[in-house]
Amino acid sequence: MRKTFAITLVLGLLVALFSVPTGAQDDRWDGSDDLETNPLACGMEEMMEEDAEEGDEEEMMEPMEYDGGSATDAPDMAGQDIVLVDVPKLVGIGYFAATTQGQQEAAEELGNVTVTTDAPTEANIDDQIQVIDSYITQGVDGILFAANDPVAIAPVLRTALESGIHVVGYDANSEPDAREWFVNQAEFNGIGKAMIDSLVDQMGEDASFGIVTSTFTTPNQARWISEMWAYASDCYPDLEWLETLEAQEDAVLSFQQAQTLINKYGEDLDGIVAMTSVATPNSADAVQQAGLCEDIAVVGLATPNDMKPYVNDGCVRDAILWNPVDLGYAAVYVMRAIIDGEFAPGDTSVMAGKLGELQVVNGSEVLLGAPFVFNAENINDFDF
Amino acid sequence: MTTMDKIKSTDAPMNLAYRLRSLLFSQEGVLFIIMIVSVLFLATRTDKFLTVSNLLQQGRFMTEVGLIAIPMTYIIITGGIDLSVGSILGLTAIILGWTWQELSFPLELAIITGIIAGTIAGFINGFFIVRVKVPPLIMTLATLALYRGLAEGISEAKSARGYPEWFFQLGQGDFLGVPTQLWLLIVAVIIFAIILARTQTGRALYAIGNNETGARFSGLTVDRYLLFIYTLSGFMSGLAGYIFVSRVSTTRSDMGTGIELDVIAAVVLGGTSIFGGTGSVIGTMIGVVLIQLLKNGLALTGVTSDATIIVIGSVLIFAILVNNFIQNRRLGM
Repeated sequence: MRKTFAITLVLGLLVALFSVPTGAQDDRWDGSDDLETNPLACGMEEMMEEDAEEGDEEEMMEPMEYDGGSATDAPDMAGQDIVLVDVPKLVGIGYFAATTQGQQEAAEELGNVTVTTDAPTEANIDDQIQVIDSYITQGVDGILFAANDPVAIAPVLRTALESGIHVVGYDANSEPDAREWFVNQAEFNGIGKAMIDSLVDQMGEDASFGIVTSTFTTPNQARWISEMWAYASDCYPDLEWLETLEAQEDAVLSFQQAQTLINKYGEDLDGIVAMTSVATPNSADAVQQAGLCEDIAVVGLATPNDMKPYVNDGCVRDAILWNPVDLGYAAVYVMRAIIDGEFAPGDTSVMAGKLGELQVVNGSEVLLGAPFVFNAENINDFDF
Repeated sequence: MTTMDKIKSTDAPMNLAYRLRSLLFSQEGVLFIIMIVSVLFLATRTDKFLTVSNLLQQGRFMTEVGLIAIPMTYIIITGGIDLSVGSILGLTAIILGWTWQELSFPLELAIITGIIAGTIAGFINGFFIVRVKVPPLIMTLATLALYRGLAEGISEAKSARGYPEWFFQLGQGDFLGVPTQLWLLIVAVIIFAIILARTQTGRALYAIGNNETGARFSGLTVDRYLLFIYTLSGFMSGLAGYIFVSRVSTTRSDMGTGIELDVIAAVVLGGTSIFGGTGSVIGTMIGVVLIQLLKNGLALTGVTSDATIIVIGSVLIFAILVNNFIQNRRLGM
């Protein structure tokens, strides 16, 4: 009887194993969103580091129509004290601690805003929905969010809009009509380009690489991977993509997935592209512990503090990010501008305190700026 | 007095006062009192908590845990456990989405296929536990991983979206003012509470939990009952999966992760002994409601999520201690 059990279990596992590659996964590096990609022009010199450059080199797209939602019968709180709640994907990681820091800075500067950050301790859609729902019941003036899933979060956000609560997203978008505006940290195609350019620069145009991401359906990671794929297909067709692994924004899991890539592909692995601020330092750790810093390039998004040991050590050349403190800061300013009536559908820019004027792109998104590259020269200047 | 009179006078008085007292001090009664006390306390801290719309909304959120907790009560009463319920929920959701989107099943058929898949998953659990004699803990631990892996493999990381409006009626709609899924939960609770308390099946489950060998030798078809409850667990997890997809309008392969812990906590809180032999569906339901209302009430009073977990853990320990204390004293009564 034990034998029957063992055989059946092995068969079952084999079925599970083989059902993975049978999909049409050849062309896509992730499975999730079917939105259009918009790759930038090829070439290293165009590593965008200033807003001015970005304006020149992007294709002149017609300004899209506003496609966000609107709050029904929102009370007029222009100039008055407002209470906001911030619901990121989860609490307890450095990235969202930084966005919270930015939000608190903005709140202090404005003087009439109170922001609380509250989110589940794991990046779980159901818990996030329940947190938002309890704040709708409590009655706040505005909700800031970073979604774990763009579709799942939409119903509860629409309920918020119908209750007269303003909704602004940052970092990870929801369906456009479920929120009023989305503060986009950097253009998705800009991040895709920066990551691939860095990889190619370090390991050549025929490098083989694996990807460690959060989950296949997390909105921002999925978009970045789509853009990376589109850009690489255009500009570096010899790049070989090996595999994408999920690590759920968990530090230990990210480390293990990176180790899995290293052990599975051995000498064939030239690079690991890490899509979350948790995956990048832990992948670098895995590479460093395996002693393969020379042979495997780790490219990814990460906060400077997490990457300092690896960049200063020479194991990792650069880390790409935007400033999450600025991201949180901008989100609060955008919310304040909406409530004060100074920012409405159809506007092409918004004033965001010390960040100056931010442009509106893609209909209802506010662009923070260009991706920033942290390397050995500048990483010690930052502290987040 | 004659001897017969003396004997009769020592019978326990079956009057109303005695009945009320034993109801109040039963495990369910104590838990119910703890729940009322918590609710009243939270209601004094915030006026948004004890409103009809808020309570109905909480009923909506707790339906999935509630539905799965019913067969879990049966299983734990028999001394077993089922850790794979979360993975079965995820697998059902994925199969629902995949058959509808990739295989172009009509949506009704996709829903039925998903729930059948969940039932079969539960049946496989039961089969190995009963025939191959694998301990339930080991078997369901293995299927926890196996079913989750299947879900991830089948879904190929895509999520299925874009369902028609009628699909959301179950998860997001109301019927006669009450969330639709809550009606389902109420009906299920009534049916399964009656089965457990008043039918032969229920008594057989208690017998199996108290002494499985004895039950077997008494002629009870132990294997059939066990197979039934694990299959029921798979079916309920599948149903909960369907409700969950309807509620969040999308399918993801990580759905239901961790829900088994919420379910088991509610069942144990409700007075079901982890060693088997005692428990009730009503107690479990009080446990489910208590945990959900605590979570919600604390959130409304401004306690953030990380602090809420601490409070819930403490209340769990406190409730179990109080209940144990009172039950031990009762035995001496």
